[in-house]
Amino acid sequence: MKKGFLIILFCGLFLFIGTAIHAQEPIVIGVPTSLGFLEGKESYKAVQLAVEEINSAGGVKLQGKMRPFKVEALDIRDAAPGVPVPEALLGLEKIILEKRPAAIVVGPFRSEALLAGMDIIAKYRVPMLGTIAMTPLSEKKIKENPEKYRYIFRVSLNVIYWAKLLAGTMEKLRKEFGFNKVYLMNQDVLWARGTANAMKKRYFLKTGWEVLGHDQFPTGFSDFSSSLMKAKAKGAEVLFTCFDMPQSGVLVKQWKSMKVPALIAGFISPMAGQAAWNTFEKKIGGILNAVFEIGNIPCERYEPSKRFYEAYLKKFGQGIQSGHGPAPSYEAVYILKDAIEKANSLDPDSLVSAIEATDRIGVMGRIRFDKGHQVIYGKDPKEAALNCFFQWTEDGKRRVIYPDSIAEGKIFLPSWVKGKK
Amino acid sequence: MLLTSIIYGFVNSIILSLIALGFNLTFGISGVANFAYGALYILAGFLCWIFFNTIGLPYVLAILFSVFLTAISGLLLYHLVLLRIRGMVLAEVIATFAIGISVLELFKYFGFIGFEYSLPVFIDKSIDIGNVTIDMQRVLIVISGLILAILLWIFTHHTRLGLRFRGIAQNERTALSLGINSDLVASLSVSLGAALAAIAAIVILPLGTITVESGYDVLINALAVCIVGGLGSTGGVIFASFLIGYAESFTAYYLESHWVMVVPLVAILSILVIKPSGLFGVHKELEERI
Repeated sequence: MKKGFLIILFCGLFLFIGTAIHAQEPIVIGVPTSLGFLEGKESYKAVQLAVEEINSAGGVKLQGKMRPFKVEALDIRDAAPGVPVPEALLGLEKIILEKRPAAIVVGPFRSEALLAGMDIIAKYRVPMLGTIAMTPLSEKKIKENPEKYRYIFRVSLNVIYWAKLLAGTMEKLRKEFGFNKVYLMNQDVLWARGTANAMKKRYFLKTGWEVLGHDQFPTGFSDFSSSLMKAKAKGAEVLFTCFDMPQSGVLVKQWKSMKVPALIAGFISPMAGQAAWNTFEKKIGGILNAVFEIGNIPCERYEPSKRFYEAYLKKFGQGIQSGHGPAPSYEAVYILKDAIEKANSLDPDSLVSAIEATDRIGVMGRIRFDKGHQVIYGKDPKEAALNCFFQWTEDGKRRVIYPDSIAEGKIFLPSWVKGKK
Repeated sequence: MLLTSIIYGFVNSIILSLIALGFNLTFGISGVANFAYGALYILAGFLCWIFFNTIGLPYVLAILFSVFLTAISGLLLYHLVLLRIRGMVLAEVIATFAIGISVLELFKYFGFIGFEYSLPVFIDKSIDIGNVTIDMQRVLIVISGLILAILLWIFTHHTRLGLRFRGIAQNERTALSLGINSDLVASLSVSLGAALAAIAAIVILPLGTITVESGYDVLINALAVCIVGGLGSTGGVIFASFLIGYAESFTAYYLESHWVMVVPLVAILSILVIKPSGLFGVHKELEERI
């Protein structure tokens, strides 16, 4: 009888303690983005990974109590063709009103949706750490009206840093191989069109490159033979590419089968992940592809990026396939945790001030924000966040080749591409 | 440059005919505009990918199973849905379109998002025709397209089942009075259309990756070719494929790649204004004359 009473007492106590731990109200993080697209899907996974790590380490310290994070995601489909921006914004508003998140991470996928959504974020005063949309116009709006738009931050790369990465790599190609004839090919969407046009006007034409042609392809286009033949006939040495559609993988297959004697360098999203090696039947050796933020690719010379990549691989059974989004999404959760603990409050204005003061070493390098609430990118992980260029080797490895601070080797040319030096 | 556009235009035309043949066959026989056609194309691609990569079957078996299962899906589509609404054109279009979207969105729901879904090419080589290099997969697409068109002609002209197909296509009531089971033949036509979509997927998808979004493009291309050629006319479909295929290629070479996607839509609009039954269509010819 006495023994039975003790067991019941023990169980009751256990249940009480357990309930008390879980009774701490979770801090909700909203993830409204295009979950049906690779960057959105993997960014959401990266958020889940960070939240799981933080929760298993005890949670977030707020006013003397440890509170867990809870993620609420919503597919706002802003990247899907034919989905109007207002419809995507309804999703953004819905998650804010229904889930009452303390902050939003990842956020809109397309820049058009980000710009239009800034007023909603400002209206409800929810701090947002964006990790996909790249337009610098959001920074301009923040600088012009800091009181209204101060809740919006970007952890990922913006178009300006993106252009610097591309220009830096092109300069390296020119110096190392003497290349100066380029053919531009890009998808006809805002970011890719902007990138290609900016590179043409502000880099290639100003630095003595000869631009032999510039073709833009609508989303879904899948036969690049015409452009490749034009590039071949005109003697292009570099094919500058900018694509985020799955069909762009066809371009690489055609480049290889048609033996176009020009080096592909730029961004082709299907080429970014390790799975591309098998997907494209081990025929992508030599291609230079950009990664928007390190951590999306493990860099041998920057340990935190490797640790994050391996943790992601371990949890989800497959490495990161997108070149843009997951690493800053993971980082955003830690930035938010630090800010909540520093502000010791969930008040949006206090959180914003704490986020503005962020200075931490993360998976992408050193994280600090500028006045436009954009993370500062540079070439040394001790000083700034990093992006990089890698090259597929002939044995299926992704070797970082730029910037020099994390480069793992030199650029090589495929057998049918000849350098001038 | 001209030789390149001629060769790649030819390949592009055959790709369009491969895509449209199944859609056209189903419409020609049963009168059903199967708007789930693009979804069946993608279904075949993913099934083949699963059989080959996840289950580890030999590629040939993976192909056979995926074509067979897609054909069965077509059969089920007819018996479970279309049989009840046959003859109500708008209902058929809405039902098949809804099923198509559901199938495609289900793939997304189950995580088929990303770039790793790709089928291997049959022969990993390239050949030179003049100064134009072309990969063997494209050559095989041309060969497959030609063989399929010939087999389809033999089937519809020299087999009992094929003759029943044509009988239903010509006049369903008369065919019924001669003892041809129109429901059975119509269901087989949907199934065969699905199988043709699967064959097209198996030969075309190795050129790139399998993505849910391409299901919609396939449907638009099939519709464009069939509307321009004339719904139900196989000869018209092949002619329209070459018309649109070469128009796309020459647009890419001599104008801008940017305008290529507009070509099928312009073709649809133009033909609807000039000759709504299509170049070789017979379905509305009488109404047009009136």
